Amino acid sequence: MPRVETALKAIAEPNRRHILRLVWDAELSAGEIASHFDVTQPAVSQHLKVLKEAGLVDERRNGTRRLYRARPEGLAELKAFLDDFWGDRLDALKREAEREERKKHGKRN
Amino acid sequence: MANATETTSVVREIAIDASPDTVWQFLVDPEKATRWMGQRATLDPRPGGVYNVEVIPGHIASGEFVELDPPRRLVQTWGWDAGEDGPRSVPPGSSTIEFELIPDGNGTIVRFTHRDLPDAAAAESHAHGWDHYFERLAIVAGGGDPGVDPWISGPMS
Repeated sequence: MPRVETALKAIAEPNRRHILRLVWDAELSAGEIASHFDVTQPAVSQHLKVLKEAGLVDERRNGTRRLYRARPEGLAELKAFLDDFWGDRLDALKREAEREERKKHGKRN
Repeated sequence: MANATETTSVVREIAIDASPDTVWQFLVDPEKATRWMGQRATLDPRPGGVYNVEVIPGHIASGEFVELDPPRRLVQTWGWDAGEDGPRSVPPGSSTIEFELIPDGNGTIVRFTHRDLPDAAAAESHAHGWDHYFERLAIVAGGGDPGVDPWISGPMS
């Protein structure tokens, strides 16, 4: 789940969550995003790069401007992961314990 | 209905086609624990014994074993060590997980409970749209468990 890991790291930073909220309903430039809070534009650009690499925002060129918008599919992947954190772990426990049990009894199925 | 209790629990049950003894080993043996739980694990399975498991890279779960009744019941505290981005929303010792192993023929029913979770998700359940999920994302990004989604049973306005 490397993609999910990247996304989890991306949203661990509060400013990046703030940026995601801003571009959820609107397509904005880095400058417009920077004007919303107390972070320099280069810092915003760096955050956008991280969010883009995590698949959480899309970038589009419009002339000389780059515009950013949240990427719903990326957030949906994260949501799916979160909704069943323990369920996935317990499924893995089941798989491994059953494999071990078959090994003990010398079964092959 | 949206509610505002202070903590939440996650309860799950799974049937495993392996004996309670086999399943138990996966809870207390570091080599076996890493096969389902994480990448690196140190476990000191006795009351008061400390454990650390790197569940996802950079996210280390840690706590203490509280109660061990092999192969029936295991209780341990659960939380996450502070990361490079600061303390987690579910710090070590702040919540509790419990595994109950119930014999079922040749197999085992595992009843898992994670309790005493901070209930940010439920507190935010009145929020609209993705704000709701941002709160949940923030909890897990902080290494926590978001708990049961209050929207599953609640009305969506």
